[in-house]
Amino acid sequence: MGMKLLLEKAHVEGIRHFEAYRREGGYRSVEKALKEMSPEAIVEEVKKSGLRGRGGAGFPAGMKWSFIAKPEGVPRHLVCNADESEPGTFKDRYLMEFLPHLLLEGLIVSSYALGSHATYIYIRGEYAWIATILETAIAEAKANGMLGNNILGSGFDCEIYVHRGAGAYICGEETALIESLEGKRGNPRIKPPFPAIQGVWMRPTVVNNVETLAAVVPIINMGGEEYAKIGVGKSTGTKLISACGNINKPGVYEIDMTISVEEFIYSDEYCGGIANGKRLKACIPGGSSVPILPANLLLKTAKGETRYMNYESLSDGGFASGSMMGSGGFIVLDEDQCIVKNTYTLARFYRHESCGQCSPCREGTGWMEKILWRLENGEGKETDIDLLWDIQRRIEGNTICPLGDAAAWPVAAAIRHFRDEFEWHVREPQEAKRRNYGLAHYADPIHVPVAG
Amino acid sequence: MSEQPLLTVTIDNITIQVPAGTSILQAARKVGGDVAPPAMCYYSKLEGSGGKCRTCLVEVSKGSEKDPRPMPKLVASCRTNVMDGMEVKNITSPRVTDARAGVVEFLLINHPLDCPICDQAGECHLQDLSYEHGKEGTRYEFQRRTFKQHDLGPYIQLHMTRCILCYRCVYTADQLTNKREHGILDRGDHSEIATLIEKSLENNFIGNVIDVCPVGALTDKTFRFKNRVWFLKPENAHRECPDCCGKVTLWNRGDEVFRVTARKDEWGEVESLADGSTAWICNTCRFEKKKSSDWVIEGPRKISRHSVISQGHYEGKVGTTVPTEIFSAVHGGRNPKLLMDIHSVSEVNRPEIQLSQIAGPSTGNDFTTGKD
Repeated sequence: MGMKLLLEKAHVEGIRHFEAYRREGGYRSVEKALKEMSPEAIVEEVKKSGLRGRGGAGFPAGMKWSFIAKPEGVPRHLVCNADESEPGTFKDRYLMEFLPHLLLEGLIVSSYALGSHATYIYIRGEYAWIATILETAIAEAKANGMLGNNILGSGFDCEIYVHRGAGAYICGEETALIESLEGKRGNPRIKPPFPAIQGVWMRPTVVNNVETLAAVVPIINMGGEEYAKIGVGKSTGTKLISACGNINKPGVYEIDMTISVEEFIYSDEYCGGIANGKRLKACIPGGSSVPILPANLLLKTAKGETRYMNYESLSDGGFASGSMMGSGGFIVLDEDQCIVKNTYTLARFYRHESCGQCSPCREGTGWMEKILWRLENGEGKETDIDLLWDIQRRIEGNTICPLGDAAAWPVAAAIRHFRDEFEWHVREPQEAKRRNYGLAHYADPIHVPVAG
Repeated sequence: MSEQPLLTVTIDNITIQVPAGTSILQAARKVGGDVAPPAMCYYSKLEGSGGKCRTCLVEVSKGSEKDPRPMPKLVASCRTNVMDGMEVKNITSPRVTDARAGVVEFLLINHPLDCPICDQAGECHLQDLSYEHGKEGTRYEFQRRTFKQHDLGPYIQLHMTRCILCYRCVYTADQLTNKREHGILDRGDHSEIATLIEKSLENNFIGNVIDVCPVGALTDKTFRFKNRVWFLKPENAHRECPDCCGKVTLWNRGDEVFRVTARKDEWGEVESLADGSTAWICNTCRFEKKKSSDWVIEGPRKISRHSVISQGHYEGKVGTTVPTEIFSAVHGGRNPKLLMDIHSVSEVNRPEIQLSQIAGPSTGNDFTTGKD
């Protein structure tokens, strides 16, 4: 049984409400932080914990906090990014739905550490019922003196506001989120200046993912050094993984990042193996924007080592033979899935969600979608595959925000690892309409040429 | 003026000094010539513009004197400020030329390429850009996107299919008028410029969106299909205007004034006045005053030889400005090898003559050897 820090109490009855949550030991970290610790000490503790941002990029949270500018007389803000819209990722929804007070607890402690007296939760519009849950929780916390003026007699004031988004994926990008929060069109800003210098209303701002902020609670409770002992290397603590696709037990799992990918997929404790006794073909291990991996590269790295569920191991081999931890949206594809169709679906998503601000992403995503549609529907040409490669290459890295990269990577990885499936779609268009390419050689052990 | 420390920046092997706070693009424009990256969305007179079109991407091969690491990604030169000791590669970097060709291709895939019937043709930045940085063919084999027509009133014609979404008109309306009435609706490749509910744009300064539009998406309705810009002679003129500076360029054919625009500099931007403000003009000057008698004519306007509009102007030093030659500096003093020097092999040529400097159509007189 893996260690649980966040979801341990998720199924206690009434945990959604303040009373039960408090009874189960909730808000201990608020008491500890506000009564015994200085804001600097909390930032130091988070730094020691090695906590990495759970939103996708994996940037060390303590480092991000220490970047925040502290000019005299200018308020600072903490914004919780609950605009979880990545296909395949639904961990924050689970966390907020079952343990809203855990997020609030993390938010209060983090607000205290950053000196934010007005903290915002930017939640995606589609999570309408969760926004209501959060608002109820905020009212309860306020009634019990955990929010508002002079919290627990410490002299620290904090209000938390829930702001509903309007259903745009791009508003999960931190600067687009800030624009949207200000009431403007959700276009990402050009960086620099970074939000830590000029964020919401040009004030210093930290934007963190829901899970990152919730993880502050166990860090304060157990101490940063203890927290850092969980996990391996620079992947400290526990991570929520939302597993979906062709597995027996889809759902949100908390792992301590020491288990192997194979164990995660096949053990009964987690995904419980591939559904209907089929074989594993491919997997997108971190939400739709990270590169897809075929079964052979997923379970073992290119060097032949076992691949583990942590930041380093999943990205071992770079993009040539690795992927990314991303936001933890673990999408499993069995042998009956068509990679071309899957890539088309993702491309369609990114085309729909591109904000249209910068030209490579606006035009390139639409173009890729059309070509993939053609390939999927048996009208493709051999040159289309190279054309797709060329388009993604020219989008990646040339855009304002990471959405361009996120749109380019799935296409690049699909072509890199599944090129023969694409070619089969071109050569046998009629057959490709009738059946899928199947598993082919994607689970065979790969021959690794030794460098030098 | 207080002394500002000057920063040293090297762009394509040419070193110049600029004040702090200058963007790479502005520094490159000081060098001039091909070193200046193209800019489709950036407009130095509009605050906050730039960063969107990605045509001005450059490679920073050395961050600064203090931190000499190169920047990993190509950066938008219009929104990146110069650091002391920075080294920038623009036309000398294959990465940049490749990325730029890609951006041009992206900008063109959904562009209707209806230049033959477009009023902007001849002074279109997208034409120049694709001519200079693009490839000849297209690899796009799908239907180009179309939009529902929107009517923006009696002055401004909107062709959404031609738009490259540079946001310049949005910033113009934000910064010149007291209430912006149009904006970007929708998102991604179906986003469009429009007023939310069909509305005509009638602010007295909204006509400037025509001048800032780099393509033919926003054109002058009073000039629509009247003439091609290269048949018109630009003349500087002014009048006493109660609303604006009144300094304009008239575009004439014979005595007839076909259109009135603001005065644009060599980067296609509206010029600055002596007091530092920008010479935006009001709708009255632009749309209503279309008689020569309304204006005090100052004389012919200099047009960059870079532009196709200059093709009708033979006046040499009067009508055109010669672009800066920077080839040898960029290539470290190496000059292109001449296959043949026309001056030394041709008998019908005066060695001292510059063909582009001949006043008026050339005659036999220009090509005599001067011996007789």
